[in-house]
Amino acid sequence: MNVNYVQLVYFFGMLFCVMGILLCIRTARTRFGKLGDAPSVSFWITRLPAESAAKLIAFAALIVLPAGAIFTANYHTFEGVHEVSGCASCHAMLPMVNDLHDPNSGTLAARHYKNKWIAENQCYHCHSDYGFSGNVEAKLTGYRHLARYTTHTYTEPIAARVRFNNQNCLNCHHHTPKFEAVQSHHTAADRLASNQMICLNCHGQAHPTSLERTPGSAAYSRLTEAFR
Amino acid sequence: MRLLRWECWCACIAFVMTLVFVLIPGPYEMAVFTFLAQPLFAIAAVSYLSKVLADLRNRGVV
Repeated sequence: MNVNYVQLVYFFGMLFCVMGILLCIRTARTRFGKLGDAPSVSFWITRLPAESAAKLIAFAALIVLPAGAIFTANYHTFEGVHEVSGCASCHAMLPMVNDLHDPNSGTLAARHYKNKWIAENQCYHCHSDYGFSGNVEAKLTGYRHLARYTTHTYTEPIAARVRFNNQNCLNCHHHTPKFEAVQSHHTAADRLASNQMICLNCHGQAHPTSLERTPGSAAYSRLTEAFR
Repeated sequence: MRLLRWECWCACIAFVMTLVFVLIPGPYEMAVFTFLAQPLFAIAAVSYLSKVLADLRNRGVV
């Protein structure tokens, strides 16, 4: 049986949340002081006094099921940001994603996409150290981006605060015959490794320029068309 | 006495927010889950645990 992560998230997310809502409503209506005389409650293979059952249900409603729901939703967040459509869901990212899908674009990202040099999750492959897909520090940055996007406290064109890490390119290209055959890669090896020199210095723009992504520019409306 | 009334309603609201994010993922739903639902879950859980601890102290268990 082929089950992808989205189906798992839907199943467990709905299970935890619906059960949580039902048990919370039940616990909210429970009068804990008056359960002494209530009949015992059947729990699978055993029976529990009504007060013990109510406490067990309260524990599930307020600790176990919220933990499950939080885990599932966070898993959804961190898996979802691997997909290009996840990046495209923010307006600020549309110029990059639309350019990526443009067969006439010559940017580095578009060339990697149309030639299928990266088969899937193209954004994540080159930005795996950044935003929600990166390490803890990068994930915290991702939360800052989310807050700024949803509160509209950002200005276009957006700019990366960090310098692009060459390691993202070298993960795939380093030690390949084509890479090794270029003398300048050996000459600049130390500077490439220390990020003093970035790959884009020689290999051109990765994405549309900030001028193209500026509202009012000739390319802006084309680049910010809704992603389909 | 309905001892856990507001904690349960807090958790209920947080569950609804989480369910919306799970079913219709988007930046605004993600922000609501991240910045509202998770703190609501945490507040409900902390209050619940403090009441459990107080109850255990009253009974002389801890």
